[in-house]
Amino acid sequence: MIAFVAFSLRRAWQGFWRNGLMSLAATASMVLMLVMLSGLVILLSGLDATLKYVESEVEVVAYLKDSATPQDVSLLQADLKAMPQVASVTYVSKEQALADFQTRQPDVANLVNALPNNPLPASFQIGLRDAGGYIDVATFLRSQSPVDTVQDIKKTVSQMISVISVLRTGGIAVLAIVGLTVLFIIVNTIRLAVVARAEEIEIMRLVGASDAFIRWPFIFEGALVGLLGAAITIGLLILVQARLAGLLSDFFEVLPVQASAMVGQNVALIVLGTGVGIGVLGSYLSVRSYLRR
Amino acid sequence: MSSASPGSTTGTPRRPEAARSRPTDLATDGLPTLALRGVTKTYPNGKAALREVNLTVPEGDFVFLVGPSGAGKSTLIRLVIREELATKGKVILEGRDLARLKRREIPRIRRRIGIVFQDFKLLPNKSVRDNVAFALEVTGTPRSRIGPAVDRVLRVVGLSAQADQRPGELSGGEQQRTAIARALVHDPRLFIADEPTGNLDPQISWEIIQLLLRINEMGVTVLMATHNAEVVTALRKRVIGLEDGRVVRDEMGAAYHRED
Ligand SMILES: Nc1ncnc2c1ncn2[C@@H]1O[C@H](COP(=O)(O)OP(=O)(O)OP(=O)(O)O)[C@@H](O)[C@H]1O
Ligand SMILES: [Mg+2]
Repeated sequence: MIAFVAFSLRRAWQGFWRNGLMSLAATASMVLMLVMLSGLVILLSGLDATLKYVESEVEVVAYLKDSATPQDVSLLQADLKAMPQVASVTYVSKEQALADFQTRQPDVANLVNALPNNPLPASFQIGLRDAGGYIDVATFLRSQSPVDTVQDIKKTVSQMISVISVLRTGGIAVLAIVGLTVLFIIVNTIRLAVVARAEEIEIMRLVGASDAFIRWPFIFEGALVGLLGAAITIGLLILVQARLAGLLSDFFEVLPVQASAMVGQNVALIVLGTGVGIGVLGSYLSVRSYLRR
Repeated sequence: MSSASPGSTTGTPRRPEAARSRPTDLATDGLPTLALRGVTKTYPNGKAALREVNLTVPEGDFVFLVGPSGAGKSTLIRLVIREELATKGKVILEGRDLARLKRREIPRIRRRIGIVFQDFKLLPNKSVRDNVAFALEVTGTPRSRIGPAVDRVLRVVGLSAQADQRPGELSGGEQQRTAIARALVHDPRLFIADEPTGNLDPQISWEIIQLLLRINEMGVTVLMATHNAEVVTALRKRVIGLEDGRVVRDEMGAAYHRED
């Protein structure tokens, strides 16, 4: 068994270097695919983070009438907390609203001080579990007597969410198409490499080599192509990483996305897994047609 | 064979070569090496390459397979090495019906057969030694056993001195002897040659034939498809003639052409 694995690995290594040009072509198309793949994966995870962030930032703000009593307020707060769509409820009193306003706009603070009474309403800031709950919560609030107005942020937010969703779906579709196309190219390149060795396979069959002895060296060779392609791709990604990180943080400036280390690791794993997987699959498919008979 | 050292012979009794009866009528000890029973081979394109072929090759026999181009000689050989399956009838090798072999038994059966072709089928980037060793490597032979086995067959075919040359650096005859060494390295019971001298000049052809005769003397059954009339006629061995997929003659001690 160990001898068999050693034999297969040795043959794979020899095969890879003896058919230099074919191996080069297979590795090059592998790198091409993996670079495209990782680009898309990075973009998709950026979009994903954006979507999550936007969704988490969707909150409903309900301004309360000045006539609302503390009992009204606490009753309403309890009702809101009981709603399944609601993640958090924060009460902002008139005084708190004024203080917030003064810290945010120090230049007009004096102006506000000059007013006879506090013009700012008290409000509930309601965090949602997901953006879809917006309509239910807003409708509920509008039916409550202590509520004066419900801030209408629905339009912009829902547009943004749908744009990002479309981008994400589109990205996955592009990924699938690119992936399949390049898979096809790679399988064919590996097939050419196998065809170039048809005579060798024929001799192996004639001298009584079992299928495993014929198949595994090619499978290891495919894995080697995938491994090498992945290594080159990861090397390239590390080279452009600094530039890429700058680009990404510009792109997602608004977001507190600190995912880059995580994304980097995921991308490396995806690149490695896909490279080796496709290399192995390509070899398997290519050799299979010679073994059937 | 227990040993492939040059000159060793087996205890298989040789039939008198002068007998010109059907060889299938002759009693042989034990199972025949090869038997075809009513074998018909029709290729997927509808071409009937063999029709109702019956023949028995006893152990230790030396058989020439002759016939015009397209007669079905190579097809018969492809059936014997289980490269193709018979459309009808049975091909029986050492008592095993090849159609009933499981997939994973085929390689094992092939190791019982040594085969060479007109075009040698050597790997150009491997030395003579490595070409021969290849047959053992790819069948899982422990490395410690490969070296001695290769040296032994290279001595049998007389290529010890050229062991480190590549096929491109060899004459045609030496290339064919390399192929023969590779075919011998598994100690086959049956040795098949499909026009082994087709690409060689008469002098070199005779050397190859001498080698096949020696292999036969070591107890290996030999089946050789050929157009080489001079060789067939000179050796007076068993001759099976194919024409248009049928066996048209099967004679002991015969010439290339019928001598009625
Ligand atoms: N794979 C195939 N598919 C279809 N027809 C085939 C195939 N192989 C051989 N044939 C046909 O079968 C017939 C016998 O071919 P075969 O190769 O057995 O002849 P042969 O006696 O070896 O001839 P030669 O002396 O020229 O080598 C021929 O008519 C040939 O065209
Ligand atoms: Mg032929």
